[in-house]
Amino acid sequence: MNRIMKLEIQEKTFKKKGFSILNDFDLEVEPGERLSIIGESGVGKTSLLNIIGLLDTQYQGSYTLFDSSVKDLSRNKLAEWRNQKIGFVLQESALIHSLTIEDNIKLPLMYANIEKDLTAQDHFKQIINKIGIESILKKKPLECSGGQRSRAVFARAVMMNPQIILSDEPTASLDLENKEKIINLLFDMNKEFNTTVITVTHDLDLANRHERIITLEGNE
Amino acid sequence: MRILRFFITRIFLKRWILVLGMIILLFLANYLSFTTARSVISTFQGYQEIETLNQEGTFISNLDPNSEADFGNIKIDDTQKVYEYLNNNYTYALQANGFVTSLDNKHKMDVIFNYINEESYKINQFRLSQGKHLNFNYKFNKEKMPVLVGAGLAKTYPVGSNIEITDPVTQQLVNLKVQGVLKKNSHRSNFYAPNSKTYFNFSIFLPVNEGFIQSAGRDLHVGGLMDIALLDSTKEKAMNVKEHLQENLGLDFNFFNQQENFNYFEDYYVDSLKIICTITLILLIIIVCLAVWNNLVCIRLMIKDFTINLLVGLSYSKLRAIFYSYFGILFSIIIAILIVITAINRYGFWLSKDSTFATYGIFGLISMDWMALLIVLFIDFIIGFTIVELTIRKIKSIPISVGVLQ
Repeated sequence: MNRIMKLEIQEKTFKKKGFSILNDFDLEVEPGERLSIIGESGVGKTSLLNIIGLLDTQYQGSYTLFDSSVKDLSRNKLAEWRNQKIGFVLQESALIHSLTIEDNIKLPLMYANIEKDLTAQDHFKQIINKIGIESILKKKPLECSGGQRSRAVFARAVMMNPQIILSDEPTASLDLENKEKIINLLFDMNKEFNTTVITVTHDLDLANRHERIITLEGNE
Repeated sequence: MRILRFFITRIFLKRWILVLGMIILLFLANYLSFTTARSVISTFQGYQEIETLNQEGTFISNLDPNSEADFGNIKIDDTQKVYEYLNNNYTYALQANGFVTSLDNKHKMDVIFNYINEESYKINQFRLSQGKHLNFNYKFNKEKMPVLVGAGLAKTYPVGSNIEITDPVTQQLVNLKVQGVLKKNSHRSNFYAPNSKTYFNFSIFLPVNEGFIQSAGRDLHVGGLMDIALLDSTKEKAMNVKEHLQENLGLDFNFFNQQENFNYFEDYYVDSLKIICTITLILLIIIVCLAVWNNLVCIRLMIKDFTINLLVGLSYSKLRAIFYSYFGILFSIIIAILIVITAINRYGFWLSKDSTFATYGIFGLISMDWMALLIVLFIDFIIGFTIVELTIRKIKSIPISVGVLQ
């Protein structure tokens, strides 16, 4: 089967807190798939996103991503993949307030060391035009509206043309108009570049607009 | 570079008071390490220089600190008798320093006349940058006196030039002929404190022979006795000189060998060095702990920004490189400050026209300063390595989650 990831978790244990989550959780995802993950608070949605997003490798089980076993990858490789293969679309607050919107969006380019690269600069301009945030580039996040900040977070996530977009409550705290804009941007990316989209949300309306919904349940 | 700038300006300097505190602590540690290292190097150099005196049969005079000396009552006839006695019975090294005189020179420094006999000259083994070594077989008042000049006087009084001056110890008009120039920063360490030096950049060395001693005044005679070294002698013979000096001059001298002088020095110096080293070590440990804590506080305070950076590609190895660069910059700033302070200190001797301590060096620093800085640099490498590795280890234990951003 043509798949982009295969995750088999026996359990994710929090030793200090004395409990475990994601017991016997399996997940396979195909390229270009739109998948949403829903569930009550505390069932492990964010923990799952940390695992899928290569932030957490401390769990029992196996995870194959792009045909490589994640546990065999070095920390540097994980960082490189987070930079180039995975984009994180988060809530509008996920910006560094001391940086301008432009600097925030260009962070992935800085870590990839292609900030001065002409192709990267063209790509940056295209994305900014498409998302419509040219006017706020020199502003600091707190000088922008919630919708503008959300779009800036989205721009940063797609700056490196990732193969997977992980979004965590991307529309929380947004009004209807901005919520629609973000969802459209997300799905446009999916259609245009066959980007895999995995969304963690409480919003059933948003979840229903994905091809597949996975419901996480507690261990009780 | 941009990542480093980003971290310095957006993360570390956000808590500038912690950075300032860190710079002050690191500076203290570096300054203490520097002064300790320099003192040790200077002592080591001193030991090597005066090791030639540390041999059997050598006894060095030292005016007993409890002796009630009445120099006003000492007559020239008495001192003449002492030197006759010494010349007839002993081989001795004599060097009398510190006779300040006014002699025009480019730097407008006071010039110091140093009188040295042949034995002492052999022991000192001065190195010349130009000209020839001193010869002692001249006839005082009949021939020009061959002299050596310090490096600071070389341009005003080059080899071959003549100096006509009233000699401060004979009070006679003498004609000096410059025979050689001492190497820059030629110096002599103190017999009793090898870490203390007298520099000869603005000195003139005059050769002392029997004829000169006979013509010299009481000041040279008495001054020469203060550090006179009896060579190829015995304790018994040294005691005879002691008695002779007591009888003729009423002065109570001790005669120690150089090992006893070293032991006397070590008694107070090594203990104080141990205290300084202990304080430095404690300070270094405190600094390492504070630095690690400081870094962790910065990271914890900026955990959201830090997480965003990790999401978009920051790796722990990049973070390690950032920390190494950051501490490299801090240490560079501190070492630059240390260089400036030392240079100002050294330059201060020139400003105050202090001929005894005026030295030449790159940016005003002499070789022992640079060696001490090299040791400080090495210590900084160890401190930097410890701080960065401990910090990275601690940071890796902080769980990173997108949950932080919600």
